[in-house]
Amino acid sequence: MEIFWILSGVTILGLVGFGLQIFAVCSYLKTNQSPGRGRDSIETFPPISILKPLSGLDDNLFDNLESFCRQDYPKYDILCSIQDPNDPAYRVVEKVKNRFPDKGISILVERCNEGLNPKVNNMLPAYRHARYPYILISDSNVMVERDYLRKNIRFMDDPNIGLVTNLIRGVRAKTIGSLFENLHLNSFILGNVCFLKKFLDIPCVVGKSMLMRRSDLEAIGGLKAFKDVLAEDHFIGEKIRERGQQVILSNHMIGNVNEYWGVKRFFNRHLRWGKMRWKILGYKYVTELIGNPVLLSLSSLFFEGPSKRALLFIASVGLVKSVGDFYMGQKINAQLHPLAYVLSPLKDLLMGFVWFMSIANDTVVWRGKRYLIGENTVLFPCPQKGIWTWRYRLLDRIRVRTA
Amino acid sequence: MLLCDFHIHTSYSDGSVDLRRTIDLFGQAGFDVIAITDHVVNEETPHGKIANRFGFSVREDNFSAYLNHIREEAKRAWDKYGLLVLPGVEITKSSLSSDQSAHVLLIDIKTFVSATWDFEKIFLEAKKQDALIIACHPHHSSQLMVIDTLFLWNNREKYARYIDAWEIANRDDVFNVISLKRYPYIAGSDFHRARHLYSWKTMLNCEKEIGAIKQCIRYNRGVAITLFRNGVPF
Repeated sequence: MEIFWILSGVTILGLVGFGLQIFAVCSYLKTNQSPGRGRDSIETFPPISILKPLSGLDDNLFDNLESFCRQDYPKYDILCSIQDPNDPAYRVVEKVKNRFPDKGISILVERCNEGLNPKVNNMLPAYRHARYPYILISDSNVMVERDYLRKNIRFMDDPNIGLVTNLIRGVRAKTIGSLFENLHLNSFILGNVCFLKKFLDIPCVVGKSMLMRRSDLEAIGGLKAFKDVLAEDHFIGEKIRERGQQVILSNHMIGNVNEYWGVKRFFNRHLRWGKMRWKILGYKYVTELIGNPVLLSLSSLFFEGPSKRALLFIASVGLVKSVGDFYMGQKINAQLHPLAYVLSPLKDLLMGFVWFMSIANDTVVWRGKRYLIGENTVLFPCPQKGIWTWRYRLLDRIRVRTA
Repeated sequence: MLLCDFHIHTSYSDGSVDLRRTIDLFGQAGFDVIAITDHVVNEETPHGKIANRFGFSVREDNFSAYLNHIREEAKRAWDKYGLLVLPGVEITKSSLSSDQSAHVLLIDIKTFVSATWDFEKIFLEAKKQDALIIACHPHHSSQLMVIDTLFLWNNREKYARYIDAWEIANRDDVFNVISLKRYPYIAGSDFHRARHLYSWKTMLNCEKEIGAIKQCIRYNRGVAITLFRNGVPF
């Protein structure tokens, strides 16, 4: 009896936190961010080098790249870096390059194994070729509006600002996996990013869009300094802040296009992100569990059994969560069918499972390679001999046999 | 070389993705040539009757709408992605016996070809329309719950002269008998769902133009197959 009330209290606390997240999103989107002194002429905008690390075919890759070619901005180049000439992304970039021959698209095919973070490895050759004073790191799965560069560069008029990052929203889900992904990006991720900024003034750096001065990045050791950490975006932001510069979270939203994801991919990505947060936050990571009221409400079943009261409580929490996510989705124009939000509680349950999985072990699989993650997400190669190898070989063998 | 897929189904038959989204999926992935080949079933068989009843087949009465829609989308695909889209059908003669079942792709057809006709009539009509004739999944497949389509292979002495190419690979299967017999070959995905994008494909070393493509396949010069796999996105 008492346990039910304790769990209900914690769940309600989680719901209050969820309410605050919704408030944070709404108010942050309304914030009038009027950066810079304004520019009279478009010609006064400084040139930007855009680093595009590519690996495989992201959903909507052609349109994503095209959106960068259609920027209403005077001078920029796009440095697409690929590790393998046989990567299917190569053909797509080549097509986009042929379509926009005057946009300064360079395709850099160079295998780089300087560090353990594959994304940083991929970007290093492009970074070496970057020639403009501003660097924009932009993932290949984002699609932006025409005024994206203009809006972001305005912040850089202030020399105290060292990094500009953006809010993201997941769009265009067409499968159950991408639906889960977009629901999660548009509620949990967006809500927490806005909550941390609004109430605790902690800007979360989103690696999908990071604009910096090249000189600032050089001052913190360049990209190379982050070649062995999993959360390179987070630590770039940290280092910029340590230098006494601000990290700005622009409320100009960018789209993360996730159309044809399978549930496994959704699960794997958030397992990796969960492990990352576990290694960065430590015991504070428990707050994420409290921030999952659906999971908390369900746990009452274990203590109370399937009583009428427990089932009603679970259904009410699920309903509140679905309606809240729907409201947040409407606010950010998430382009999801209203019925899709019915799956929101199910997604939260899966994420509860991911939470436990992420603290269960210290290995992460990224781009087909297995790493050990240490404190502050420092990566180590997974041992090639001993019990480790046999354990994973056995698992891989089972996977292949059952495929 | 041109990256091609000549075996694609949409929601006009039993595919789960509609025509426009299918074309976008292949365009976004950097393909050069694709053929839309929805099923035309033999409506005289119980199998065909069911497929027709539930809309899993292109019929004579909606064939021109189907063709017009493909042409309309083909123009958009060409303008946007430089993707050449060819209209086609998969003549589907299925029965409970794999020895009596056969599927044939007719690519670049202009008028309706019925699956109730006998094979000779179908092939002659396709030749008259200058369509490519491709025998698809002609041998034992690894897919469970699918009846093999062995009729054309079992009767190859009779029909091989009509057939421009044989599918040497279909989705995840490879039919090595085609290479042993030295028949002209292509590979296709038998695309029904988005995940089937990653499967066997054909590479052609020719101009991106229908005449050159047909010639390349018929003479089987400059044809290669590749297992199209995705890298791992970040």
